[in-house]
Amino acid sequence: MGKRYEIPLGAQHISLLEPLHFKFTTENEKIIDTVANVYYVHRGIEQACCSKFKFRQVSFVVGRVCGLCSISHTTAYSQVAEKLVKIEIPRRAKYLRMLVIELDRIHSHLLCLSHVAENSGFEALFMKTMQYREFSMELLEAICGNRIQYDFSIVGGVARDLKPQVGMQILERLKIFKLQLDELVDIYQNNWTLSLKNKGAGAITKEDAMRLNVVGPFARAAGLAMDVRNETEDLLPWKEVGFEMITDTAGDVHARNMVRLRELYVSMRMIENIINGLPESAIITETKAFPDGEAVIRLEAPRGELFYYAKGNKTQILERLKIKAPTFSNVSAMVEAFKGNEYGSVPAIIASYDPCLSCTSR
Amino acid sequence: MKTFFKVLGNLFKRPITTKYPFEKTFIPDDYRGLIGFDENLCIWCRRCEMACPPQAIVFSQDADGKQTYHYNRAVCIFCSECVRSCPKEGAIYQTPEPAKCALKEENINNGWNVLYEEALKSRAVYAAEKKRLAAEKAASLKTGDKKN
Repeated sequence: MGKRYEIPLGAQHISLLEPLHFKFTTENEKIIDTVANVYYVHRGIEQACCSKFKFRQVSFVVGRVCGLCSISHTTAYSQVAEKLVKIEIPRRAKYLRMLVIELDRIHSHLLCLSHVAENSGFEALFMKTMQYREFSMELLEAICGNRIQYDFSIVGGVARDLKPQVGMQILERLKIFKLQLDELVDIYQNNWTLSLKNKGAGAITKEDAMRLNVVGPFARAAGLAMDVRNETEDLLPWKEVGFEMITDTAGDVHARNMVRLRELYVSMRMIENIINGLPESAIITETKAFPDGEAVIRLEAPRGELFYYAKGNKTQILERLKIKAPTFSNVSAMVEAFKGNEYGSVPAIIASYDPCLSCTSR
Repeated sequence: MKTFFKVLGNLFKRPITTKYPFEKTFIPDDYRGLIGFDENLCIWCRRCEMACPPQAIVFSQDADGKQTYHYNRAVCIFCSECVRSCPKEGAIYQTPEPAKCALKEENINNGWNVLYEEALKSRAVYAAEKKRLAAEKAASLKTGDKKN
Protein backbone atom coordinates (compact mmCIF):
# COMPACT_ATOMS: atom_id res chain seq x y z
CA MET A 1 0.00 0.00 0.00
CA GLY A 2 1.37 3.36 -1.05
CA LYS A 3 1.15 6.68 0.68
CA ARG A 4 -2.20 8.48 0.59
CA TYR A 5 -2.53 12.02 -0.67
CA GLU A 6 -5.46 14.43 -0.67
CA ILE A 7 -5.61 16.58 -3.79
CA PRO A 8 -8.16 19.36 -4.13
CA LEU A 9 -9.30 20.38 -7.63
CA GLY A 10 -11.40 23.50 -8.17
CA ALA A 11 -13.45 25.59 -7.59
CA GLN A 12 -11.15 27.59 -9.88
CA HIS A 13 -9.13 25.37 -12.15
CA ILE A 14 -7.80 25.66 -15.65
CA SER A 15 -9.58 22.52 -16.86
CA LEU A 16 -12.96 23.49 -15.43
CA LEU A 17 -15.55 25.56 -17.22
CA GLU A 18 -17.58 26.22 -14.15
CA PRO A 19 -16.95 26.33 -10.40
CA LEU A 20 -16.93 22.72 -9.30
CA HIS A 21 -14.87 21.41 -6.43
CA PHE A 22 -13.52 17.87 -6.08
CA LYS A 23 -11.38 16.51 -3.29
CA PHE A 24 -9.53 13.38 -4.37
CA THR A 25 -7.91 10.89 -2.03
CA THR A 26 -5.22 9.17 -4.03
CA GLU A 27 -2.92 6.26 -3.41
CA ASN A 28 0.17 7.24 -5.36
CA GLU A 29 -1.50 8.15 -8.67
CA LYS A 30 -4.64 6.08 -8.28
CA ILE A 31 -7.86 7.70 -7.06
CA ILE A 32 -9.55 5.77 -4.28
CA ASP A 33 -12.06 8.30 -2.98
CA THR A 34 -13.72 11.54 -4.12
CA VAL A 35 -15.84 14.22 -2.49
CA ALA A 36 -17.72 16.71 -4.66
CA ASN A 37 -19.07 20.16 -3.85
CA VAL A 38 -21.28 21.70 -6.51
CA TYR A 39 -23.05 24.67 -4.93
CA TYR A 40 -20.79 27.56 -5.80
CA VAL A 41 -23.06 29.54 -8.13
CA HIS A 42 -26.30 29.65 -6.21
CA ARG A 43 -28.25 32.70 -7.36
CA GLY A 44 -31.68 32.20 -5.81
CA ILE A 45 -33.52 32.01 -9.12
CA GLU A 46 -36.33 29.81 -7.78
CA GLN A 47 -37.09 32.33 -5.06
CA ALA A 48 -37.03 35.21 -7.56
CA CYS A 49 -39.43 33.33 -9.85
CA CYS A 50 -41.90 32.90 -6.97
CA SER A 51 -41.71 36.43 -5.61
CA LYS A 52 -40.61 39.08 -8.06
CA PHE A 53 -41.76 38.02 -11.52
CA LYS A 54 -45.20 37.37 -13.00
CA PHE A 55 -45.71 33.87 -14.38
CA ARG A 56 -45.44 35.04 -18.00
CA GLN A 57 -42.10 36.71 -17.28
CA VAL A 58 -40.64 33.65 -15.53
CA SER A 59 -39.91 31.91 -18.85
CA PHE A 60 -37.34 34.65 -19.54
CA VAL A 61 -35.85 34.34 -16.05
CA VAL A 62 -35.37 30.57 -16.22
CA GLY A 63 -33.77 31.02 -19.64
CA ARG A 64 -30.94 32.71 -17.76
CA VAL A 65 -30.38 29.69 -15.50
CA CYS A 66 -27.95 28.24 -18.02
CA GLY A 67 -26.47 29.54 -21.24
CA LEU A 68 -26.13 26.25 -23.08
CA CYS A 69 -29.50 24.67 -22.36
CA SER A 70 -31.42 27.94 -22.26
CA ILE A 71 -34.09 26.67 -24.64
CA SER A 72 -34.64 23.48 -22.63
CA HIS A 73 -35.32 25.52 -19.50
CA THR A 74 -37.68 27.97 -21.21
CA THR A 75 -39.53 25.15 -22.97
CA ALA A 76 -39.86 23.10 -19.79
CA TYR A 77 -41.17 26.11 -17.89
CA SER A 78 -43.55 27.06 -20.71
CA GLN A 79 -44.94 23.53 -20.73
CA VAL A 80 -45.44 23.44 -16.99
CA ALA A 81 -47.15 26.85 -17.07
CA GLU A 82 -49.36 25.72 -19.95
CA LYS A 83 -50.41 22.75 -17.82
CA LEU A 84 -51.28 25.15 -14.98
CA VAL A 85 -53.38 27.48 -17.16
CA LYS A 86 -54.79 24.43 -19.02
CA ILE A 87 -54.15 25.31 -22.66
CA GLU A 88 -53.01 23.27 -25.64
CA ILE A 89 -50.40 24.89 -27.87
CA PRO A 90 -50.60 24.86 -31.69
CA ARG A 91 -48.88 22.07 -33.59
CA ARG A 92 -46.51 24.43 -35.40
CA ALA A 93 -45.27 25.79 -32.07
CA LYS A 94 -44.47 22.26 -30.92
CA TYR A 95 -42.45 21.60 -34.05
CA LEU A 96 -40.57 24.90 -33.76
CA ARG A 97 -39.73 24.13 -30.14
CA MET A 98 -38.34 20.76 -31.15
CA LEU A 99 -36.32 22.38 -33.94
CA VAL A 100 -34.60 24.82 -31.58
CA ILE A 101 -34.05 22.15 -28.90
CA GLU A 102 -32.32 19.89 -31.43
CA LEU A 103 -30.14 22.70 -32.82
CA ASP A 104 -29.25 23.54 -29.24
CA ARG A 105 -28.36 19.91 -28.63
CA ILE A 106 -25.94 20.03 -31.58
CA HIS A 107 -24.06 23.02 -30.24
CA SER A 108 -24.06 21.77 -26.65
CA HIS A 109 -22.73 18.32 -27.60
CA LEU A 110 -20.04 19.84 -29.82
CA LEU A 111 -18.94 22.11 -26.98
CA CYS A 112 -18.65 19.13 -24.65
CA LEU A 113 -16.71 17.11 -27.23
CA SER A 114 -14.32 19.97 -27.87
CA HIS A 115 -13.60 20.28 -24.15
CA VAL A 116 -12.96 16.57 -23.83
CA ALA A 117 -10.41 16.95 -26.63
CA GLU A 118 -8.83 19.98 -24.98
CA ASN A 119 -8.64 18.39 -21.55
CA SER A 120 -7.12 15.26 -23.06
CA GLY A 121 -4.38 17.48 -24.44
CA PHE A 122 -5.57 17.68 -28.06
CA GLU A 123 -5.74 21.44 -28.61
CA ALA A 124 -6.02 21.27 -32.41
CA LEU A 125 -9.14 19.10 -32.25
CA PHE A 126 -10.64 21.54 -29.75
CA MET A 127 -10.19 24.35 -32.28
CA LYS A 128 -11.59 22.25 -35.10
CA THR A 129 -14.69 21.22 -33.16
CA MET A 130 -15.35 24.78 -32.08
CA GLN A 131 -14.95 25.97 -35.66
CA TYR A 132 -17.53 23.43 -36.87
CA ARG A 133 -19.82 24.35 -34.01
CA GLU A 134 -20.12 27.93 -35.22
CA PHE A 135 -22.75 27.08 -37.86
CA SER A 136 -25.28 26.03 -35.20
CA MET A 137 -24.79 29.27 -33.30
CA GLU A 138 -25.38 31.30 -36.46
CA LEU A 139 -28.48 29.30 -37.33
CA LEU A 140 -29.86 29.76 -33.83
CA GLU A 141 -29.20 33.48 -34.19
CA ALA A 142 -31.06 33.51 -37.50
CA ILE A 143 -34.04 31.68 -35.98
CA CYS A 144 -34.28 33.31 -32.54
CA GLY A 145 -32.47 36.61 -33.07
CA ASN A 146 -29.80 35.99 -30.45
CA ARG A 147 -26.78 33.73 -30.12
CA ILE A 148 -27.15 32.66 -26.51
CA GLN A 149 -30.37 33.61 -24.73
CA TYR A 150 -32.98 32.45 -27.21
CA ASP A 151 -36.19 33.50 -25.35
CA PHE A 152 -37.97 31.41 -27.96
CA SER A 153 -40.59 29.53 -25.96
CA ILE A 154 -43.16 31.65 -24.20
CA VAL A 155 -46.25 30.60 -22.28
CA GLY A 156 -48.74 29.57 -24.98
CA GLY A 157 -46.40 28.91 -27.89
CA VAL A 158 -43.26 30.35 -29.44
CA ALA A 159 -42.13 33.95 -29.79
CA ARG A 160 -41.40 34.11 -33.51
CA ASP A 161 -42.12 32.15 -36.65
CA LEU A 162 -39.60 30.37 -38.85
CA LYS A 163 -39.07 32.17 -42.15
CA PRO A 164 -38.94 29.94 -45.26
CA GLN A 165 -35.53 31.28 -46.30
CA VAL A 166 -34.11 30.52 -42.84
CA GLY A 167 -35.46 26.97 -43.17
CA MET A 168 -33.68 26.61 -46.52
CA GLN A 169 -30.51 28.03 -44.98
CA ILE A 170 -30.66 25.44 -42.17
CA LEU A 171 -30.97 22.56 -44.66
CA GLU A 172 -28.03 23.87 -46.71
CA ARG A 173 -25.79 24.34 -43.69
CA LEU A 174 -26.68 20.88 -42.37
CA LYS A 175 -25.53 19.35 -45.66
CA ILE A 176 -22.12 21.00 -45.20
CA PHE A 177 -22.01 20.04 -41.54
CA LYS A 178 -22.69 16.38 -42.28
CA LEU A 179 -19.32 16.07 -44.07
CA GLN A 180 -17.56 17.93 -41.27
CA LEU A 181 -19.19 15.64 -38.71
CA ASP A 182 -17.97 12.55 -40.59
CA GLU A 183 -14.47 14.01 -40.33
CA LEU A 184 -14.90 14.61 -36.59
CA VAL A 185 -16.25 11.10 -35.97
CA ASP A 186 -13.23 9.70 -37.77
CA ILE A 187 -10.83 11.64 -35.54
CA TYR A 188 -12.65 10.95 -32.26
CA GLN A 189 -13.01 7.26 -33.06
CA ASN A 190 -9.67 6.40 -34.62
CA ASN A 191 -7.10 8.90 -33.36
CA TRP A 192 -4.48 6.92 -31.53
CA THR A 193 -3.46 9.49 -28.88
CA LEU A 194 -7.03 10.44 -28.05
CA SER A 195 -8.04 6.79 -27.70
CA LEU A 196 -5.08 6.20 -25.44
CA LYS A 197 -6.35 8.94 -23.13
CA ASN A 198 -10.05 8.19 -23.38
CA LYS A 199 -10.56 4.45 -23.68
CA GLY A 200 -11.20 2.86 -20.31
CA ALA A 201 -11.05 6.16 -18.42
CA GLY A 202 -13.90 7.08 -16.10
CA ALA A 203 -15.81 3.89 -16.80
CA ILE A 204 -19.07 3.11 -15.05
CA THR A 205 -20.97 -0.19 -15.29
CA LYS A 206 -24.60 -0.50 -16.30
CA GLU A 207 -25.58 -1.77 -12.84
CA ASP A 208 -23.90 1.18 -11.13
CA ALA A 209 -25.52 3.60 -13.56
CA MET A 210 -28.91 2.07 -12.82
CA ARG A 211 -28.33 2.15 -9.07
CA LEU A 212 -27.09 5.76 -9.02
CA ASN A 213 -29.89 7.02 -11.28
CA VAL A 214 -27.74 8.43 -14.06
CA VAL A 215 -29.38 10.40 -16.89
CA GLY A 216 -28.47 11.71 -20.31
CA PRO A 217 -25.53 10.69 -22.54
CA PHE A 218 -23.71 9.53 -19.39
CA ALA A 219 -26.35 6.82 -18.88
CA ARG A 220 -26.69 5.98 -22.56
CA ALA A 221 -22.94 5.41 -22.85
CA ALA A 222 -23.17 2.87 -20.04
CA GLY A 223 -25.90 0.95 -21.85
CA LEU A 224 -28.97 2.34 -20.10
CA ALA A 225 -31.65 3.24 -22.65
CA MET A 226 -32.77 6.32 -20.77
CA ASP A 227 -34.22 9.20 -22.75
CA VAL A 228 -37.30 11.29 -22.00
CA ARG A 229 -37.86 11.70 -25.73
CA ASN A 230 -38.50 7.97 -25.86
CA GLU A 231 -41.01 8.01 -23.02
CA THR A 232 -43.28 11.03 -23.35
CA GLU A 233 -45.22 11.75 -26.47
CA ASP A 234 -48.04 14.00 -25.30
CA LEU A 235 -46.27 17.39 -25.25
CA LEU A 236 -43.68 17.18 -28.00
CA PRO A 237 -44.07 14.51 -30.71
CA TRP A 238 -40.49 13.25 -30.77
CA LYS A 239 -41.08 9.89 -32.43
CA GLU A 240 -43.09 11.53 -35.20
CA VAL A 241 -39.97 13.39 -36.35
CA GLY A 242 -37.76 10.32 -36.24
CA PHE A 243 -36.23 9.96 -32.78
CA GLU A 244 -33.87 7.04 -32.32
CA MET A 245 -32.25 5.80 -29.13
CA ILE A 246 -28.44 5.74 -29.17
CA THR A 247 -26.65 3.57 -26.63
CA ASP A 248 -23.15 2.24 -26.11
CA THR A 249 -21.84 -0.44 -23.78
CA ALA A 250 -18.39 0.56 -22.53
CA GLY A 251 -19.44 3.47 -20.29
CA ASP A 252 -16.04 5.20 -20.51
CA VAL A 253 -15.05 8.62 -21.89
CA HIS A 254 -14.66 7.22 -25.41
CA ALA A 255 -18.16 5.71 -25.30
CA ARG A 256 -19.60 9.04 -24.15
CA ASN A 257 -17.89 10.80 -27.04
CA MET A 258 -19.28 8.30 -29.50
CA VAL A 259 -22.81 8.51 -28.05
CA ARG A 260 -22.73 12.30 -28.39
CA LEU A 261 -21.41 12.16 -31.94
CA ARG A 262 -23.99 9.60 -33.02
CA GLU A 263 -26.75 11.62 -31.38
CA LEU A 264 -25.76 14.52 -33.61
CA TYR A 265 -26.69 12.45 -36.67
CA VAL A 266 -30.10 11.74 -35.11
CA SER A 267 -30.55 15.43 -34.27
CA MET A 268 -29.68 16.43 -37.83
CA ARG A 269 -32.16 13.94 -39.25
CA MET A 270 -34.84 15.22 -36.90
CA ILE A 271 -34.19 18.83 -37.90
CA GLU A 272 -34.50 17.92 -41.58
CA ASN A 273 -37.78 16.11 -40.90
CA ILE A 274 -39.12 19.03 -38.87
CA ILE A 275 -38.36 21.59 -41.57
CA ASN A 276 -39.70 19.42 -44.38
CA GLY A 277 -42.88 18.57 -42.50
CA LEU A 278 -43.57 21.83 -40.67
CA PRO A 279 -47.36 22.03 -40.16
CA GLU A 280 -49.22 25.25 -40.99
CA SER A 281 -51.01 26.77 -38.02
CA ALA A 282 -50.84 29.65 -35.59
CA ILE A 283 -47.77 29.81 -33.36
CA ILE A 284 -49.37 30.97 -30.13
CA THR A 285 -52.50 30.28 -28.09
CA GLU A 286 -53.71 33.34 -26.24
CA THR A 287 -55.20 32.96 -22.79
CA LYS A 288 -56.09 35.19 -19.88
CA ALA A 289 -56.28 32.41 -17.28
CA PHE A 290 -54.15 32.43 -14.14
CA PRO A 291 -52.09 29.39 -13.06
CA ASP A 292 -53.86 27.08 -10.68
CA GLY A 293 -52.97 23.73 -9.17
CA GLU A 294 -49.77 21.71 -9.48
CA ALA A 295 -47.93 20.28 -12.46
CA VAL A 296 -44.77 18.37 -13.29
CA ILE A 297 -42.78 18.25 -16.53
CA ARG A 298 -39.87 16.16 -17.78
CA LEU A 299 -37.86 17.20 -20.81
CA GLU A 300 -34.67 15.87 -22.38
CA ALA A 301 -32.07 18.64 -22.19
CA PRO A 302 -28.68 18.03 -23.93
CA ARG A 303 -27.30 16.73 -20.62
CA GLY A 304 -30.23 14.57 -19.61
CA GLU A 305 -33.59 14.73 -17.96
CA LEU A 306 -34.76 18.16 -16.85
CA PHE A 307 -37.52 18.25 -14.27
CA TYR A 308 -39.84 21.16 -13.48
CA TYR A 309 -42.46 21.39 -10.79
CA ALA A 310 -44.75 24.40 -10.40
CA LYS A 311 -47.62 25.32 -8.14
CA GLY A 312 -50.02 28.19 -8.77
CA ASN A 313 -52.59 29.90 -6.57
CA LYS A 314 -54.79 31.79 -9.08
CA THR A 315 -52.60 34.91 -8.92
CA GLN A 316 -50.04 36.35 -11.33
CA ILE A 317 -47.16 35.09 -9.18
CA LEU A 318 -46.40 31.39 -8.76
CA GLU A 319 -46.41 29.85 -5.32
CA ARG A 320 -43.53 27.44 -5.94
CA LEU A 321 -41.18 26.55 -8.78
CA LYS A 322 -38.71 23.70 -8.49
CA ILE A 323 -35.99 22.98 -11.03
CA LYS A 324 -34.05 19.71 -11.00
CA ALA A 325 -31.21 19.83 -13.50
CA PRO A 326 -29.62 16.74 -15.13
CA THR A 327 -26.18 17.36 -13.57
CA PHE A 328 -27.73 17.16 -10.11
CA SER A 329 -28.87 13.60 -10.85
CA ASN A 330 -25.40 12.72 -12.11
CA VAL A 331 -23.27 14.02 -9.21
CA SER A 332 -23.28 10.75 -7.25
CA ALA A 333 -22.28 8.76 -10.34
CA MET A 334 -19.62 11.34 -11.21
CA VAL A 335 -17.97 10.70 -7.86
CA GLU A 336 -18.26 6.93 -8.35
CA ALA A 337 -16.77 6.86 -11.85
CA PHE A 338 -13.47 8.44 -10.72
CA LYS A 339 -12.52 5.44 -8.58
CA GLY A 340 -9.63 3.41 -9.88
CA ASN A 341 -8.50 5.98 -12.44
CA GLU A 342 -5.17 7.77 -12.68
CA TYR A 343 -5.17 11.32 -11.40
CA GLY A 344 -3.84 12.51 -14.76
CA SER A 345 -6.99 11.54 -16.61
CA VAL A 346 -9.27 13.51 -14.29
CA PRO A 347 -9.67 16.65 -16.49
CA ALA A 348 -10.83 14.62 -19.49
CA ILE A 349 -13.26 12.64 -17.31
CA ILE A 350 -14.76 15.81 -15.82
CA ALA A 351 -15.24 17.30 -19.29
CA SER A 352 -16.87 14.10 -20.50
CA TYR A 353 -19.51 14.33 -17.74
CA ASP A 354 -20.49 17.66 -19.30
CA PRO A 355 -21.30 19.18 -15.90
CA CYS A 356 -23.48 22.29 -15.82
CA LEU A 357 -23.16 23.84 -12.38
CA SER A 358 -25.27 26.89 -13.15
CA CYS A 359 -28.21 24.56 -13.77
CA THR A 360 -27.45 22.44 -10.72
CA SER A 361 -27.24 25.19 -8.13
CA ARG A 362 -29.51 27.69 -9.92
CA MET B 1 3.93 12.75 -45.26
CA LYS B 2 0.20 13.49 -45.67
CA THR B 3 0.31 15.58 -42.50
CA PHE B 4 3.31 17.48 -43.77
CA PHE B 5 1.53 18.56 -46.98
CA LYS B 6 -1.58 19.45 -44.96
CA VAL B 7 0.50 21.72 -42.75
CA LEU B 8 2.09 23.35 -45.81
CA GLY B 9 -1.36 23.85 -47.34
CA ASN B 10 -2.68 25.41 -44.13
CA LEU B 11 0.09 28.00 -44.26
CA PHE B 12 -1.47 29.51 -47.37
CA LYS B 13 -5.10 29.29 -46.24
CA ARG B 14 -7.08 32.30 -45.07
CA PRO B 15 -7.83 32.31 -41.35
CA ILE B 16 -11.28 31.13 -40.24
CA THR B 17 -11.69 33.94 -37.71
CA THR B 18 -12.81 37.46 -38.59
CA LYS B 19 -10.96 40.60 -37.54
CA TYR B 20 -13.94 41.81 -35.60
CA PRO B 21 -13.73 45.58 -35.08
CA PHE B 22 -12.49 46.07 -38.66
CA GLU B 23 -14.73 43.52 -40.34
CA LYS B 24 -18.45 43.11 -39.84
CA THR B 25 -19.66 39.94 -38.13
CA PHE B 26 -22.72 37.93 -39.11
CA ILE B 27 -25.91 39.67 -38.02
CA PRO B 28 -29.22 38.25 -39.30
CA ASP B 29 -31.95 40.51 -40.72
CA ASP B 30 -34.30 40.10 -37.78
CA TYR B 31 -31.71 40.36 -35.03
CA ARG B 32 -33.18 41.18 -31.63
CA GLY B 33 -31.82 44.67 -31.09
CA LEU B 34 -32.80 47.96 -29.47
CA ILE B 35 -36.46 48.74 -28.77
CA GLY B 36 -37.86 51.69 -30.70
CA PHE B 37 -40.79 53.88 -29.64
CA ASP B 38 -43.18 56.07 -31.63
CA GLU B 39 -44.73 58.76 -29.46
CA ASN B 40 -47.35 59.72 -32.05
CA LEU B 41 -48.86 56.24 -32.19
CA CYS B 42 -48.73 55.40 -28.48
CA ILE B 43 -52.04 55.27 -26.63
CA TRP B 44 -50.29 55.42 -23.21
CA CYS B 45 -51.79 52.24 -21.80
CA ARG B 46 -48.48 51.22 -20.10
CA ARG B 47 -48.90 47.56 -21.05
CA CYS B 48 -45.29 47.35 -22.23
CA GLU B 49 -44.15 48.52 -18.82
CA MET B 50 -46.26 45.86 -17.12
CA ALA B 51 -45.04 43.10 -19.44
CA CYS B 52 -41.31 43.93 -19.35
CA PRO B 53 -39.50 41.21 -17.31
CA PRO B 54 -36.43 43.27 -16.24
CA GLN B 55 -38.38 46.57 -15.92
CA ALA B 56 -36.43 48.40 -18.59
CA ILE B 57 -39.40 50.59 -19.57
CA VAL B 58 -41.06 53.17 -17.34
CA PHE B 59 -43.44 56.06 -17.97
CA SER B 60 -43.24 59.28 -15.97
CA GLN B 61 -46.08 61.78 -15.79
CA ASP B 62 -45.95 65.52 -15.23
CA ALA B 63 -48.52 67.73 -13.53
CA ASP B 64 -50.79 68.21 -16.56
CA GLY B 65 -50.96 64.46 -17.26
CA LYS B 66 -48.50 64.21 -20.15
CA GLN B 67 -46.57 60.93 -20.04
CA THR B 68 -42.94 60.45 -21.08
CA TYR B 69 -41.38 57.13 -22.14
CA HIS B 70 -38.06 56.07 -20.60
CA TYR B 71 -36.06 53.08 -21.81
CA ASN B 72 -32.77 51.63 -20.55
CA ARG B 73 -30.80 49.58 -23.05
CA ALA B 74 -28.49 48.19 -20.37
CA VAL B 75 -31.38 46.65 -18.42
CA CYS B 76 -33.29 45.45 -21.49
CA ILE B 77 -32.96 41.74 -22.36
CA PHE B 78 -34.36 42.24 -25.91
CA CYS B 79 -37.06 39.61 -25.47
CA SER B 80 -39.65 41.72 -27.38
CA GLU B 81 -42.32 40.93 -24.81
CA CYS B 82 -43.26 44.66 -24.88
CA VAL B 83 -43.84 44.47 -28.66
CA ARG B 84 -46.11 41.44 -28.23
CA SER B 85 -48.09 43.09 -25.43
CA CYS B 86 -48.64 46.38 -27.34
CA PRO B 87 -52.28 46.79 -28.45
CA LYS B 88 -51.41 49.49 -31.03
CA GLU B 89 -49.19 48.09 -33.76
CA GLY B 90 -46.06 50.15 -34.49
CA ALA B 91 -46.08 52.18 -31.29
CA ILE B 92 -43.26 50.07 -29.86
CA TYR B 93 -41.07 47.97 -32.13
CA GLN B 94 -37.79 46.08 -32.24
CA THR B 95 -34.95 47.32 -34.43
CA PRO B 96 -32.10 45.09 -35.70
CA GLU B 97 -29.58 47.55 -34.27
CA PRO B 98 -27.30 46.18 -31.52
CA ALA B 99 -27.05 48.19 -28.29
CA LYS B 100 -23.97 50.35 -27.76
CA CYS B 101 -21.78 50.05 -24.70
CA ALA B 102 -22.65 52.34 -21.82
CA LEU B 103 -20.20 55.06 -20.78
CA LYS B 104 -19.35 56.08 -17.26
CA GLU B 105 -20.86 59.55 -17.82
CA GLU B 106 -24.25 58.03 -18.55
CA ASN B 107 -24.43 56.49 -15.04
CA ILE B 108 -26.71 53.94 -16.59
CA ASN B 109 -27.41 51.74 -13.55
CA ASN B 110 -27.66 54.10 -10.61
CA GLY B 111 -29.09 56.88 -12.73
CA TRP B 112 -31.76 54.51 -13.97
CA ASN B 113 -32.70 53.44 -10.43
CA VAL B 114 -33.18 57.09 -9.46
CA LEU B 115 -35.14 57.80 -12.63
CA TYR B 116 -37.35 54.77 -12.09
CA GLU B 117 -38.22 55.80 -8.54
CA GLU B 118 -38.91 59.38 -9.62
CA ALA B 119 -41.12 58.23 -12.49
CA LEU B 120 -43.24 56.10 -10.16
CA LYS B 121 -43.42 58.99 -7.69
CA SER B 122 -44.45 61.47 -10.39
CA ARG B 123 -47.28 59.15 -11.39
CA ALA B 124 -48.40 58.77 -7.78
CA VAL B 125 -48.39 62.56 -7.36
CA TYR B 126 -50.47 63.00 -10.51
CA ALA B 127 -52.93 60.30 -9.40
CA ALA B 128 -53.29 61.88 -5.96
CA GLU B 129 -53.84 65.30 -7.49
CA LYS B 130 -56.47 63.89 -9.84
CA LYS B 131 -58.23 62.18 -6.96
CA ARG B 132 -58.23 65.39 -4.95
CA LEU B 133 -59.66 67.39 -7.87
CA ALA B 134 -62.34 64.75 -8.46
CA ALA B 135 -63.28 64.79 -4.77
CA GLU B 136 -63.46 68.60 -4.84
CA LYS B 137 -65.65 68.51 -7.92
CA ALA B 138 -67.93 65.95 -6.34
CA ALA B 139 -68.12 68.01 -3.17
CA SER B 140 -68.96 71.16 -5.11
CA LEU B 141 -71.59 69.26 -7.09
CA LYS B 142 -73.11 68.00 -3.86
CA THR B 143 -73.27 71.49 -2.33
CA GLY B 144 -74.69 72.76 -5.62
CA ASP B 145 -77.38 70.07 -5.43
CA LYS B 146 -78.25 71.11 -1.89
CA LYS B 147 -78.58 74.76 -2.92
CA ASN B 148 -80.94 73.82 -5.69
